[in-house]
Amino acid sequence: MELHIRGVSKTYANGVHALKDVTLTIPAGMYGLLGPNGSGKSTLMRTIATLQEPDEGSIRLGELDVLRQKDDVRKTLGYLPQEFGVYPKVSAENLLDHFAVLKGIGERRARREVVEALLRQTNLWDVRKQKLGGYSGGMRQRFGVAVALLGNPTLMIVDEPTAGLDPAERVRFLNLLSELGENSVVLLSTHIVDDVSELCTRMAIIDQGEILLEAEPLRSVDDLHGRIWRRVISKEELPALEQTHAVISTKLLAGRTIAHVYSDAMPGPGFEPSEPDLEDVYFSTMAGHIGRRPSTSLRTGRQRLEPTIPS
Amino acid sequence: MKFREIFRFELAYQARRVSTRVYFVVLFAFGFLIMLAAGADTPEEVAFLNAPNGVAFLALMGVVIWLLLTGAVAGEAGARDVETRMHPLTYTAPVSKADYLGGRFLAAFVLNASILLALQVGLLLSSLLLGPFRPVGHLAAYFVIALPTAFAATAIQFAVAVRHGRAMAAYLASVILLVASAIAIGMAGLFQQRELARLVDLVGFVSIVREQEASSPIEWNTRLFALEGLMLANRLVWIGVGMGALAITYRCFRQDFAHAPGLTLRQAQGHPERSRGVRERLVRRDVQRRFGFATAARQTLAIGWTSFRAIAWSRTGLTLVGALAFGSAFVSTEWMLHMEEIPLLPRTEEVLAFYAPSLRTVETLWIIIPLLIIFYAGELVWRERDAGVSEIVDTAPVPEWALFLGKFLGLGLVVTAWMLILLAAGMLVQVVLGYPEFNMRLYLTALFGFQLADYLLFVLLVLVVHEVVGQKQLGHVAALGAYGFIVFAPRLGIQHKLLVYGSDLGWSYTPMTGFGPFVGPWLWFKVYWSAWALLLAVAARLLLTRGREAGLGVRLRMARRRFTRATAWVTAAAVTLIVTAGGFIFCNTNVLNAYRTAADWMEQRAEYERRYGQHEGVPQPGLTGINLHIEIYPERREVEIRGTYRLVNSSPMSIDSIHLAPAPGVATGEATFDRPVARVALDDELGHRIYSLEKPLQPGDSLELRFDVRHERRSFTNEGVDASVVANGTYFTNLGWLPAIGYQPNRELSDAAERLSHGLAPRPVIPSLDDTEAPRARVDHVLVETVVGTDEDQTAVAPGALRRTWTDVGRRYFHYVTDTPIGNEFAVFSANYAVREEEWTGPAQKVSIQIFHHPGHTQNLDRIARSAQASLSYYTTQFGPYPFRHVRFVEHPGRARGMHADGNTIDYREGFSLLNPRAEQDPDLPFAVVAHEVAHQWWGTQLVYARVEGAGVLSESLATYSSMRLIEQTLGPEHLRRYLRFLRLEYARPRSPAMPPLLRATDSFLFYRKGPLALYALGEYIGKERVHEALRRLLEKHGGGRPPLPTTIDLYRELAAVTPETFHSLLHDLFEANTYWELEAEQATARQTGDGTWQVTLNVKTRKVVVDSAGVEIEVPMDDWIEIGIFAEGDEPDKPFYARKHRIRSGQQTITVTMPRKPTSAGIDPNRLLIDLTTADNITTVRTKS
Repeated sequence: MELHIRGVSKTYANGVHALKDVTLTIPAGMYGLLGPNGSGKSTLMRTIATLQEPDEGSIRLGELDVLRQKDDVRKTLGYLPQEFGVYPKVSAENLLDHFAVLKGIGERRARREVVEALLRQTNLWDVRKQKLGGYSGGMRQRFGVAVALLGNPTLMIVDEPTAGLDPAERVRFLNLLSELGENSVVLLSTHIVDDVSELCTRMAIIDQGEILLEAEPLRSVDDLHGRIWRRVISKEELPALEQTHAVISTKLLAGRTIAHVYSDAMPGPGFEPSEPDLEDVYFSTMAGHIGRRPSTSLRTGRQRLEPTIPS
Repeated sequence: MKFREIFRFELAYQARRVSTRVYFVVLFAFGFLIMLAAGADTPEEVAFLNAPNGVAFLALMGVVIWLLLTGAVAGEAGARDVETRMHPLTYTAPVSKADYLGGRFLAAFVLNASILLALQVGLLLSSLLLGPFRPVGHLAAYFVIALPTAFAATAIQFAVAVRHGRAMAAYLASVILLVASAIAIGMAGLFQQRELARLVDLVGFVSIVREQEASSPIEWNTRLFALEGLMLANRLVWIGVGMGALAITYRCFRQDFAHAPGLTLRQAQGHPERSRGVRERLVRRDVQRRFGFATAARQTLAIGWTSFRAIAWSRTGLTLVGALAFGSAFVSTEWMLHMEEIPLLPRTEEVLAFYAPSLRTVETLWIIIPLLIIFYAGELVWRERDAGVSEIVDTAPVPEWALFLGKFLGLGLVVTAWMLILLAAGMLVQVVLGYPEFNMRLYLTALFGFQLADYLLFVLLVLVVHEVVGQKQLGHVAALGAYGFIVFAPRLGIQHKLLVYGSDLGWSYTPMTGFGPFVGPWLWFKVYWSAWALLLAVAARLLLTRGREAGLGVRLRMARRRFTRATAWVTAAAVTLIVTAGGFIFCNTNVLNAYRTAADWMEQRAEYERRYGQHEGVPQPGLTGINLHIEIYPERREVEIRGTYRLVNSSPMSIDSIHLAPAPGVATGEATFDRPVARVALDDELGHRIYSLEKPLQPGDSLELRFDVRHERRSFTNEGVDASVVANGTYFTNLGWLPAIGYQPNRELSDAAERLSHGLAPRPVIPSLDDTEAPRARVDHVLVETVVGTDEDQTAVAPGALRRTWTDVGRRYFHYVTDTPIGNEFAVFSANYAVREEEWTGPAQKVSIQIFHHPGHTQNLDRIARSAQASLSYYTTQFGPYPFRHVRFVEHPGRARGMHADGNTIDYREGFSLLNPRAEQDPDLPFAVVAHEVAHQWWGTQLVYARVEGAGVLSESLATYSSMRLIEQTLGPEHLRRYLRFLRLEYARPRSPAMPPLLRATDSFLFYRKGPLALYALGEYIGKERVHEALRRLLEKHGGGRPPLPTTIDLYRELAAVTPETFHSLLHDLFEANTYWELEAEQATARQTGDGTWQVTLNVKTRKVVVDSAGVEIEVPMDDWIEIGIFAEGDEPDKPFYARKHRIRSGQQTITVTMPRKPTSAGIDPNRLLIDLTTADNITTVRTKS
């Protein structure tokens, strides 16, 4: 089963061009969609999740036309929105049971088993009788995961799922997802690079509605080998460095600034080679050194970057 | 500074919202259109709508609409931060509570005030178009009525919204506020606290209506209602309530996150998470998932159940209706009454009259049900979106129809629960009133058949409206608009029931007929509207918002894709059903029966007058004999009549043509005569035929006219179902069905405004007392012979004595003949009757008393029999012999509770059998009513009066007065006292003092209340024997129905003849002028004299005024004999120890009396014989001086 996205474009009524001719092929397994806030990730996810209509383009899931056969898509879909609420006065168990009916699990006993299994897997079993209104953010997020997992979806769309989770919860959740990825298409959108590097066999980087890079994370890291250099500088030196070098990212370490520079060769004195990681792939792509973004001037490339790297 | 910014921001924010603009437009449009619509055909002499009071009245209606419509303004201001989860930001800003709440509230209030200003501007503009324009009325309406209400309501809405953190709570608050105010008014009314009612009334409705009732048209048009007295107090009360609500809000408001409403304080107990970080196996279970119809049905049920739970488990879901239903049941002793006084047997149908009102009436407490439906439909449609789970639900594999239908089911279940509550409350009423005879079948059919079906149709409509509109506030506006349309469509001129969603021809239940002929048409209409509902549901499914894009354009595009083959089939089925059922209905309302609007009927009557009015007064022969052969087919609901009229020329002129007026609503066949005639005109549309006699009918000659009349089952018209012929309980009158002789002036338009707008010359509703023509009108005295055939198990009743009864091929026949001529007004009945027979034997005659009644209705049979016997005994000795050999009482279907008398037959509807006076305190009203009707056998049957002003005094006043004296004679003075109290209750009702004098009386208050009380007063002054003597003479001189017919002038002459000179001025004041006495006992003191007697000094203040019919009050000097009463310990309330008439003049006066016993209280006119609107001050307690 593969998900084919062809030439999907979307412009909102307020003029925002959210998706520009997006074409992607997403095979079974975990697929990461990486991009900064407002890059069009959620629009794309919602469009695949039958919640939105694109202006142009087509989306196919195996034999299904996602845009036309919404009812059939929904039967195989698990969707965890970026933001969602709950009915505050209902217990987790009751609401999950309700969603199970909505997902087509009609038989009462099967439903009870499924609900129990999912509550246990999301570690909500002990609080299943409590009203959802009293749940913490993380618990609520896990509840959403349980809902998304109902009915063994073959297409799983999770929009920024790890944002509200503590590190342990995040690990548990990613484990669950990777299990699912063995048989299904799991599309994971995130702005957290680590989510992708830990889980995904394939990924795409999206910005301003455009797909900048489609790659396998490991290979793209390999491809960058020997091109990322680092140098420890003081804050005042940064502007000068940016004038002369392709600085793709900076981060602070113990009060000093570490700048990463993209260069095919040793950029100069003071630099040392840096072992590239997916973050470097991401920033290089955003800066236009790799991928589809036309390489722009060094300055503009740098300025657009928002260091959204988690610790 | 911060306050100003918060205020400014809020105002600007809300002003930009579409819904706010819609509120402005709606209220402006209402103001502009309502006056044009209502004021268009207001003729000159009645109340102007743009007079200050009229403006106030319309402003009130606007304020009610505002209240129901715009709850969101205050709601948003109070709860938006919490709802949008902005509150962590706003609450942590360094803003004081006062600034935050104050700014928000003020913005909401200013906005609401401006919206109400738009209403006033609309009224003002249309007022300008209508003519005399008084801006002061508009100012008063705005500042006195609209603004204080707006302040109180906004404050309460705001308080509720802040408290619950939900904007919609403000809507609910409005509904509750309105209903609570209505209940408070109602309760105050029940307990006779009219002043209190005016105080608790939120919108000022009671005050303005009171103003209207208590003022003459001239006063209404000129007076500006004043901000004083109760009106001022009321406004202050509500401003106080508003302040209170604000104060509480301020006190309870906590500006911290944890206290944000809607968030549960108690966080779930985080469990130590075992296996933290441990890799968890995802157990993949192969659950069976099916996506067929069965699953969708199960999903529908699941959504239905959770929707039901969400409402039913909420704070107001079931409790509001429950509190109203059970609360009203507990006070049912206060409203299960006839004329607010006499208890009624709470038979199930009577209980249901309260608990199962039509959805299309607003004059009921249960208006709360449609309003709650509108509110909860909005909550349900927006439930997922409000809770933020819509994206999850929308991506679930649930078909759109299941999503929609589930919510319909959920709200339907809520309404079902409400019906269950009403059922329980109805039974509770019966238990509370000690009559636990539950007609469960009736309860279930009425509440779960008729009512539930209506409500479900409404639920569906409202859900569709909310779903299609796609914006919550606007959805509410649209849903309220739809409701308003349903309720007010007939008043907006949309009368065809095929055009107003959910409407039908109504239904009624009586024990005699059951649901009778109403069920069939009702079902047709419901099938028709269900088909429309199905179509609406299809529209909702197609346009259901699913996913992010809620724009109508996107949804329309989506709809095309959702339109599947199944949709097409359902649509086709719905359309087929609409066409079929609609066609059938249309066939009945427009093809088989002519479709006529109210305006068409008016026009027809106008045209009748224009075309045939020239024949009014043309000499016609009198009717002396009627011979009828009637075949009633109750099951087929058909009647065939063959009849013969014997006509005699009793005029001094020869008559060359006969004018015949066939009755509307039945088919009258060709008339044949016993001599050659030529038909000159035949206009059955307007109802006039002219036959010219070849040889004129000479004075004294007679002729025979034969005709046939058919009442066919023509199913139903748009106006309703004709229930005169039913399976059990057929009833019709000769005036209703048989052709009349001559032009019929009573078919002309009588309403002054209608006559004006149809270009007809003005004429009084009833001829003046000075009219010389009317008393010369011909009176028919007819001998009636009838053969009636009906079903074998039924009894038919017609006038006269039963000669013979026989059966023939499964039908039963009755032959009735009158032995004495009766008035030309009689009825024919057929039903499954039980008969009670009694006999009265007088000194010179024997009268049989028969009561034909529904077998179950035995409640008042003894009273009827006893009263009839007593009446015959008393009246025959006082007024003269009874002219017939029997008196007959016949029950027929209907809820009304009165009786009606024709010559020797008195008919009554089933409601009479509910009258259940308490032996220990109430007047025996059934006894009194029977006595009144039997008295009509003298006053009305023997004394045939002229149809001029005051006519009702000769019939109703004399009959009621007779019954008073009968009660005094038979049941004793205590019962008379109760009856007098009952009759005087009408005086406690607010009423304009402007009215004609009794001799020229034209309304029922004067006929039934003032008239008999005036006669009673006179009797107390001059002795009842003298009054009876006058009445006896009146009957002797003017009885028998020969022209010239008597008027009140003849009565007055006879009364004057028996009244001593001293009391002529009293007679004048009671009958010839509209006089009011203002009598007040200011102070009474007593002092024991040396010999042990008591000297009482009573200070009285008196005044006498005459009020003309326009309301102009003129004080007249008083010099009257008025009773002074001084009560001693243990005196009965109408029997003071000292009672003597003193001559009292206007002004203050001191009366000194010496009496042997110790006085307790003293007063002037203690028995309230004179007309004094405030009798409470007539008596005062005596202060004892040592």
